[in-house]
Order: sequence, then C-alpha cells, then structure tokens
Amino acid sequence: MNSPTQKWYDKPIAKIILVSISLTWVMPYFGFVLSSFRPGDSIKRVSWWSSIMTGDFIREFTFENYTEILFAENLSRSFFNSFAVTIPSTIIPITIAAFAAYAFAFIDFKGKNIAFMFVIAMMIVPLQMSLIPLIKLFSKGAILFGIPIIPELQINGTFVAVWFAHTGFGLPLATFLLRDFMLGLPKSVIESAKVDGASHLTTFYKLALPLSLAGIAAFATFQFLWVYNDFLVANVFLGIRPQNLVVTSHVAQLTVGNYGEAWHLRTSGAVISMIVPLIVFFSLQRFFVKGLIGGAVKG
Amino acid sequence: MNKLISYAPLSQHEGLYGAMFAGPAIFLLFLFLFYPAIRTLFLSFFDKRGQNFIGIENYIWSITDEKMLVTIRNQFIWLVGVVFLVIFLGLVVGYISDRLKKGESFFKSIIFMPMAISAVGSSAIFKFIYEYRPPPSTQIGLINGLRVGRGSDINGNPCGNNVLLDDGSKIGYSNEGCLQPIGWLQQRDLTGLPSFENISNADFFTNLIINFPINTLLLMLVMVWMFTGFAMVVFSAAIKAIPSEIIEAGQIDGASEGKIFLSIVIPYLKTTILVVATYLTVSVLKAFDIVYVTTRGDFETNLLAVKMLDEFAIYLNQGRSATVAVLIFVCVIPIIFLNILQNKEEAKA
Repeated sequence: MNSPTQKWYDKPIAKIILVSISLTWVMPYFGFVLSSFRPGDSIKRVSWWSSIMTGDFIREFTFENYTEILFAENLSRSFFNSFAVTIPSTIIPITIAAFAAYAFAFIDFKGKNIAFMFVIAMMIVPLQMSLIPLIKLFSKGAILFGIPIIPELQINGTFVAVWFAHTGFGLPLATFLLRDFMLGLPKSVIESAKVDGASHLTTFYKLALPLSLAGIAAFATFQFLWVYNDFLVANVFLGIRPQNLVVTSHVAQLTVGNYGEAWHLRTSGAVISMIVPLIVFFSLQRFFVKGLIGGAVKG
Repeated sequence: MNKLISYAPLSQHEGLYGAMFAGPAIFLLFLFLFYPAIRTLFLSFFDKRGQNFIGIENYIWSITDEKMLVTIRNQFIWLVGVVFLVIFLGLVVGYISDRLKKGESFFKSIIFMPMAISAVGSSAIFKFIYEYRPPPSTQIGLINGLRVGRGSDINGNPCGNNVLLDDGSKIGYSNEGCLQPIGWLQQRDLTGLPSFENISNADFFTNLIINFPINTLLLMLVMVWMFTGFAMVVFSAAIKAIPSEIIEAGQIDGASEGKIFLSIVIPYLKTTILVVATYLTVSVLKAFDIVYVTTRGDFETNLLAVKMLDEFAIYLNQGRSATVAVLIFVCVIPIIFLNILQNKEEAKA
C-alpha cells in the first residue's frame, strides 16, 4: 500500500509500545525462572542480572533446587495432592451440572424458572459468604428443627471436604454455561428423539451429552485451572499440615513462612507450580479462553 | 429410575424427570451455598463464638476499628485502581493487537499468560522483584538492585550493588551519599521516598499525598499484571465484532484514529466494559492470595478477604468474620444492580 498517510498502527511508535508492553509482561518471569537454576547462596550473594553479566549463571547452572524442592522438601507429594483435589473437583460439578442443564434446557417442569433464577442468584454470592458455615457443616453437620439432616461428618482436613466445597462453588456457573450451550443445539434433533419415543435419559446420554462436549471441555478446562490455582479453599478446608498441602499452599508456605530467604526453593517451587497451568493453557487455549469469558461471573 | 418414573401417571412424567435431572444440583446449591450464606448473615449479628445475639455491634466495630478502616481504605484503592487500570490497559492492548498484521496471537499469549498461573505464583514472582534486604547485603530484588547500583557517594566513588571488581575489591552502597534500598512492601506511606524526603507536615493535601500507601499500590499492580490479559481477550473479541462499515464510514468522514476509538469503538463496547468491570470487581473483592503471600496483611496492606479469614482463624471471632464476609457481599450488590439495569435496557431495545 502506498497510501500517503501512514496508519498510526504501522508507525514505529505503535511497534515500540507493543514491544515494551510485552517486555514488561515477560520481565517478571525472567529473573524468577533464571534464579531457580542458581545455587541458593549464590542467589543471595549476587543479583541475577549481574550473574548473567559476569557469566556466573552459566558456570553455576544447577538443577539441584528442583531435586531439593521435589524430594527433600516433598513438593512431589503436594503435586500429587493437587491432582487428587483437582480431578474430582472438576468431574463432580460437571456431572451434576450436565443433568441440571439438560433439565433446564429441554424438560418442562413446574418451577423451572424459579429454580433457574435460584441458580443464577447463587452465582453472584461471593464464596466468602459460605466459608464459615461450610466449615461448621463439614464438621458438625446440620440440624433442622431438631432433626439432623446432615450427620456429623468431621471431614474438614480431608480431600472430600475440598471436593464438596469446589462442587458447591463451581456448580452454578457450570449449570449456567452448559444450559446455554445445550440451548444452542439444534432443537429439531432433540425433538425428533422425543417423537421416536426416546426417554429423557436416553436423549441425554445419546444426544445432548455428546453434542455438548465442546461446552463441557470449555468449562472443564476453566474449572481445572481454577481449582488447581486455588489457594483460599485449599487453605481453609485442608489446612497446612504437610501431608495435606497442595502445590499452591505449599508454595505459599515457602513464600510467606519462616524460610528466611530461601529464594532457591521459592523460585523452583513456584516454577513447578506453573508448569501444569501453562501446559493446559497452551494446549487448550481455545477452550480455556471460552470458559474464562463465560466464567466472568463466577462468584 | 427410568422404570420407576414410567409407573407414575403420564401427566407427571415431565415433572419427575425434571426433579431427577435438576434435583441434585438444586439440593447441593441449597446445602453448600444458600444455607451457608444465610447462616453467615445471621452469624454477623452474633458474638465471638456465634452464641449470643449482640445486634449490630460487629458492624459498628467494622467501621470504627482502626485496622478495619485501613482494610476498607485498601479495598477501595484496589477496587478503583484495578478496575480502572485493567480496563484502560486492556482496551489499549486489545485495540492495538487487533490491528497487528502478524504476531497477534503470540503477543496476546504473552499478555494472557499470567491469567493461567496461580495468584500464589504471581505473588512470589513480584515479591522477588520488590525484595528488600537490610544493608549492606546485596540487593537481589530488581527495583532495589537497580536503585542502589547507581550514582556515587559524597567522595565521588561509585556506588554499587556489592559488585566484585577484577582486582578483588568490592563496591557497595553503604558509603554516605549512596542511595539506600527501600522496603517497598513495608513502606506504608511516601515519607523518605525520592522527592518526598524533605516534606514536613504541611497543609491538608500534602498530607493526603504523603500518606498514600505505596505498598498497597505495588501489590495492586500484581493483580493488574494478572488480569490485563483477560480484559484484552474480551475487548479484542468485542472489537472484532464491530461492523467494519461503521469504522470505514468514520474514516471516510475524515475522523482521526483517536476520534474513531473514542466515538465509535468505546460506545460499542459499553456492555463489554460493564461485563469486564463486573468480573474485576468480584475478583478484587475476593482477592486473597496476593496479600496473604506477600505481606500476610501486615504493614497496613490488608484486604477484606484476608481480614475475614484472620478474624476466623487467628482471632477466633466468628461474628466479626461473618460481618466482613457480609461487607464483601454488600460491595458486590451495586455492580450486580448495574448489570440488571443494563440487561433491562437491552431487552427494551
């Protein structure tokens, strides 16, 4: 194009702005990741940028921080715990929500609108509102008019409590998103199944579920990362006993705790905690962004 | 189940199926969200152990206690700062990246990456940047390291960040005249910072400025770093949806690029901006990890979500903790209300 007036976004100034923004966004990782490959006392003695300039970084390059954090410091167990928390916390709400979403989309039952309003209303309640009573519920159960409707479970500090909590916090959004997705399915297909005499269960398993896989994947990616990255719920319901730590709470312990200046463990631990989200992010970017934009209202 | 329902009268089939499909979700929502939320509301009127009714005493505490007031002030700074900065940066970055000929997705991935990693990880990253070590030890945090490595002392010798020279001597920053490192996360106001050193108590406005909590601002930036990518993705999708004829019409009429952005793009994005603002507001109110990991709420950096947990877990005061939770909820209500209004307006149009 030889247009006499160059568009502003083709001008070097726009490129400079873009490059400097990108650099600003990458810079924080850079020194951090780099430091995770340096010996602990070296990190404290020489700043990371002078270690590059003097060549110390290459000379002292080590994986020892990673072996120390994974085995001596037992981050590997926390890593395992994270998955033990995350996978059920993703599957349970999606399963329950898929059924509910089908009901809201295709079954005409009494009180449907009120029930759906209830789901939406639960989406805006911040999870802090439910935290304390939920802790009590998980330990002491619930008593309604003198009748114990939920027994004394005493499950605080177990994975089950976290699964339940994440199920509760994830359900409204999952139901909402999946209903939206199912409403977008071709109505004629669902109706022809009905005409053929298929029951709702058959229609659900054979048609609605397979057709909504993309929507389910979007939410699953979002929920997986949300639970994996969560620190608050894990901290409240699992606590900080070493055998209960998940990756985020372990890294938080290292960073906030009395480790003084154990930056070699903080950096390597945090880098390990970031690997899974980044793999998920780069391989499922499309789903993740979709789920995230849909999840913009999660309470 | 299927068989069981088939025994019921035909007219009730749909209702039974509805109960069977939606029932579990409704029950769990009731048990895990609705009932606890109501109970929190009740608890906020009760004492420490949740046994004796004490009226609005907890609420009075929440607006008179000095630490609570600081917490509320910080929450306010976060709300305004994060929402404004993220929307501004998101719009700019989204608009520019949309016009890129190549490298759009690469550029977007970079900006978006912090959204994928945990807030704990991000906080650790930024804690490393803001790191302060008491002199004369080497400064390993980026900001302090760059700060002490510059300039020279009163005798004209260069200052350095404990750099080892070739002849074996070390240059540090402990000599008089060298810049001293600043504990950024411990710095609760601007006193002693460059260009604020010599201000002594003056008029009201100077006081207001000098009391600005710099550490809260720095922690807030962590969240801005994390959420700009989200705003960018949403805005850039919305910008792509603007009919190109409208923008072309503006160009033919001779509108400048800035004018097009302000009078076509921004009005078109009004709904989207509200959605992003809603998401950010809710996220800021729930922000817990950043402050917890970096300062643990000390040095006047506390936020409501951290305060709520501290009241429960450290001070063992359920009533106050519930009150803080209710405050968080109350802050969400106005923006939800705005959304409802907006939805109604759209339904009318």
